[in-house]
Amino acid sequence: MEPLIQLRNLEKVVEAGPNKFFLLRRINLDIQQGEFVTIMGPSGAGKSTLLSIIGMLDGAWSGDYFFLGEAVHKLNVKKRNELHKANIGFVFQSYHLIDNLTVFENLEVPLSYKNVPHKERVSLVCDALDRFHIVGKKDLFPNQLSGGQQQLVGVARAVILSPKLILADEPTGNLHSAQGEEIMELFKKLNDAGTTIIQVTHSERNASYGHRIIQLKDGWVVSETATAGARATVSHPA
Amino acid sequence: METIWQDVRFGVRMLIKHRIATIVCVVALGLGIGANTAIFSLAEAFLLHPVPFENSDRIVALVDSHVASQDSGAGFGPQDLNAVAPATYLDWIKEVHSFDDLAAYAWDEVNLTGDREAQKVQDFKVTANFFPMIGVQPLLGRTFLPEEEEPGRNQEIILSYGLWEQRYASDPNVLKRVIKVDGKSFNIVGVMKKGFDFPMPAEAWIPLALDVKERLRRDNRWLWVLGRLRPGVTFAEGAAEMQAISERQAEIYPDTNKAWRLQPQPLRQFITGTLTRQYTVLLMVAVGFVLLIACADVANVQFARITGRTSEFAVRTALGGSRWRVVRQLLIESIMLSLVGAALGLFLAQWDIQMILAHMPPDVARFVAGWKTIRLDRNAFLFALVIAVFSGVISGIAPSLLGSRASIAETLKEGGRGSSVSRTRHRLRGALVVAEVALALVLLVGAGLMVKGFQGLLNVNESYAPQTLLTFNYSLPEVQYAPAAARLNFSEQIMRRLGSVSGVQAASMVTYVPYADGGGINEREFSIEGRPLTQRGATRTAIVETVAPNYFNTLNIALRDGRLLSDTDGAESPQAAVISESLARRYFSGENPLGRHIKDGKVEAEGKWMTVVGVVNDVRYSWIVKDDVPTIYRSFRQAPPFYTTVVLRTAGDPLKFVSAARAEIAAVDANLPLYNIKPMDKVITESIVGIAYVATMMAVLGAIALVLASVGVFGVMSYSVSERTHEIGIRMSMGAQTGNVLALVLRSGMLLTVLGLAIGLPAAFLLARALSSLLYGVQAADPAAFIGLPLLLFAVAGIACYLPARRAAHLDPLRALRHD
Ligand SMILES: Nc1ncnc2c1ncn2[C@@H]1O[C@H](COP(=O)(O)OP(=O)(O)OP(=O)(O)O)[C@@H](O)[C@H]1O
Ligand SMILES: [Mg+2]
Repeated sequence: MEPLIQLRNLEKVVEAGPNKFFLLRRINLDIQQGEFVTIMGPSGAGKSTLLSIIGMLDGAWSGDYFFLGEAVHKLNVKKRNELHKANIGFVFQSYHLIDNLTVFENLEVPLSYKNVPHKERVSLVCDALDRFHIVGKKDLFPNQLSGGQQQLVGVARAVILSPKLILADEPTGNLHSAQGEEIMELFKKLNDAGTTIIQVTHSERNASYGHRIIQLKDGWVVSETATAGARATVSHPA
Repeated sequence: METIWQDVRFGVRMLIKHRIATIVCVVALGLGIGANTAIFSLAEAFLLHPVPFENSDRIVALVDSHVASQDSGAGFGPQDLNAVAPATYLDWIKEVHSFDDLAAYAWDEVNLTGDREAQKVQDFKVTANFFPMIGVQPLLGRTFLPEEEEPGRNQEIILSYGLWEQRYASDPNVLKRVIKVDGKSFNIVGVMKKGFDFPMPAEAWIPLALDVKERLRRDNRWLWVLGRLRPGVTFAEGAAEMQAISERQAEIYPDTNKAWRLQPQPLRQFITGTLTRQYTVLLMVAVGFVLLIACADVANVQFARITGRTSEFAVRTALGGSRWRVVRQLLIESIMLSLVGAALGLFLAQWDIQMILAHMPPDVARFVAGWKTIRLDRNAFLFALVIAVFSGVISGIAPSLLGSRASIAETLKEGGRGSSVSRTRHRLRGALVVAEVALALVLLVGAGLMVKGFQGLLNVNESYAPQTLLTFNYSLPEVQYAPAAARLNFSEQIMRRLGSVSGVQAASMVTYVPYADGGGINEREFSIEGRPLTQRGATRTAIVETVAPNYFNTLNIALRDGRLLSDTDGAESPQAAVISESLARRYFSGENPLGRHIKDGKVEAEGKWMTVVGVVNDVRYSWIVKDDVPTIYRSFRQAPPFYTTVVLRTAGDPLKFVSAARAEIAAVDANLPLYNIKPMDKVITESIVGIAYVATMMAVLGAIALVLASVGVFGVMSYSVSERTHEIGIRMSMGAQTGNVLALVLRSGMLLTVLGLAIGLPAAFLLARALSSLLYGVQAADPAAFIGLPLLLFAVAGIACYLPARRAAHLDPLRALRHD
């Protein structure tokens, strides 16, 4: 099967005054369809940066990026957005819910950009509320929720459209362990059903849900290791 | 005091720092305050100083109005005010207690001859107590003596300062002169002070002398009566007593008084006139709206600025500054803004007033009470100062209260976003935009209707091509032309002579051309043979025009039925009359008016019955009166006039024919002055120049409102985009495309706009109703105004939303996500 993601010599540079500053250096990475990959590394290593490039929110980098064989580095902004919209769901480190919308409306946001008919929207949202046990909170605003509950909504929002790829930046960072586990279980279930997942985490425990750990440091990939749970179907690059 | 000075200095620094916002605010406030100050100066002149003497508060005008006219308008539009008859006035003097003096005056026009060139003069006949009652002393000589009210002894004249200056070169010995007034010898006994022209536009005064026969008349209403309230009596008490007297008279003399109701008015109100007052109030409301819109703009800018300064306020609070200090700091800043705005506003007002003064034809200005006193005076400066402080406070109060509240909340909250303060602020800003759009719509619709109505006024007269008509008046002296044959001979001669001037296509005459006297209408009572009035006190009225038979063709007035007047309708032939369609419709509905007999005046009045020989189209006489006015035309050969208007149809510019016309008339009577020499289109535009002013000012105010409201929409949407940057980042990461973001911002901006339009439309409709009774040709339900103007506002607001929306759509999602 064609890899979902292929990165070749991907680099990101920012200019800070007269100096150039590398955030990512010569990243070569293949992620197969159906994989569950964990990115780890110290703070400031470039994990979030890499995730937003993979998530096509960031277009300012050099190198090659193929998504399902399509050359992302050759796409214009509009095409890239289309690809992103069609395939990727995000879970953010700091929730990123919209303050002026209720939980219900927050969950509706991604649907509204994919022209899902109203009836279907409502049923999808109700579904997600159900799955995450937040039905009772559907009319509350984000600032009326605890941090953990907010992140629960964030995860629900990312998976609501059943995307091919879920990108999660420390999804459980603010959740107590039981809730964290619940989400990891959910990710695993989604992964079992075929969704590719890339997560950033500092927790070994969370990493153990995945197949492979990529270590990042100062913008370099320093190691790749398979976890115990890795499945035979997933091939590792040498 | 020290700390206030600190606040001021800091405020100056802040205003300089946010230069663009400061300029927007100052210009908005300058426009608002300037417009208000200019209109204030007009209102001050028209409403407060219309009378050129002091202590006019105790003087009351005792005017009558016809019952039939009272239930027409709902407080809007012209009021029908009338003079009273001599016998009525004399009864009042005997009966009234609440007034210590009643004086009367009457309009008059005379020819001055005998010493210099013949000159037509606007004078007033006044009772001897007229000047003492209003407390006015002459500059030279004396006012009238009681014995000069006797007929035959009334051979005195008082000159206005202007007439004295112009005709006698301010000769100090003028009092010894004897001049001919309408051919009779009069002594000049006084000269009034400069600027005194009461009643407007007096150039001279002569004693009012009532002969025995005249003193008994109750049907001839020509005296304007003023009364001075006794000390301690209020206007309401005096008015009530007068009304009681008037009602008693109506019972005793039902034939003449039943249909009338006395309407006492404070002199100022009476002099200003209902229309001037209503249009002034209309403009005051309009400029008030503009100021409010400007204040909303400033408030919005302040909101945005304050949000960017929350940390400054937090620091101030942390350093022990009270909430009041923070509020005060912000208020001082917005008051400083509006003071600078006021300085700009005064310049604009000065310029505006100069424009207003420069464009008014002098012939019209002399009829506008208070016109001469229009200027930016101390009161206007004070007014500008007061509204500047007022605007500063109202545009600063909400932002500063919320700003200071946020500073405290800021220190307490963890999340920052989505606090109740910011939501309140958001809603308030939205509400300001809604209000701005609503106010702007009301103004725009008002302006649109005024302009359209004005256009209509001009167009309605196009049928007779007024630009190639020359008109002028003369008035034959009574003594010399007392025999009808003399007047007939004179008229025949000048018609023949003027008609043969080369380039004159037709020479004709009529008593009053349409729109003469600024649109006032001179209706007279008439009677129909065999049709007595069924109701006591009822009257039939019409304009009675004495014309040359070619008048209809000269003004393109089409024949509807029967025949026009002809040259064979001479002095010896049966009296013929042509009536207007509206007269036929109103008084002969369902029957054939041809062959019926009508008479100028009451049935028992002397004068022969006229036979109706034709019906012609109506001519619009005035912009004030909405309906066509019934009109009777008769030939000058059957009623040779003293006073007439000559109408010449010319080839090309009518003014080129003035000297030829003068020469022809001088050849017949060298002493006869001609006056009101004007092309017909000028007669029309002068009569509607007031409307032109109001329409122009409304249009300018509407345009300002449109600009200010769209600045408001732009400001709020730009601010909202920066406030929502984070949200927009999230949405982009959720798959929102450029178009989605564009739509998001546009939608919220246009929602506010539509809300504003929805609130503004009913208000605009109410205004339109008021305007439609104020101005002929304005329809309350004007589809162009009520569809086109909201669309215009919508489109302009759309552009104002589009710019920030486009900026939002091109945000970098990563940066937006990191934005806080
Ligand atoms: N636009 C930018 N301009 C300059 N520096 C940037 C920019 N974006 C990120 N950085 C820097 O790049 C480095 C990597 O940031 P990144 O957010 O990817 O780290 P991270 O690995 O996700 O860290 P953490 O575990 O704390 O989330 C950081 O030092 C950050 O300050
Ligand atoms: Mg990170």
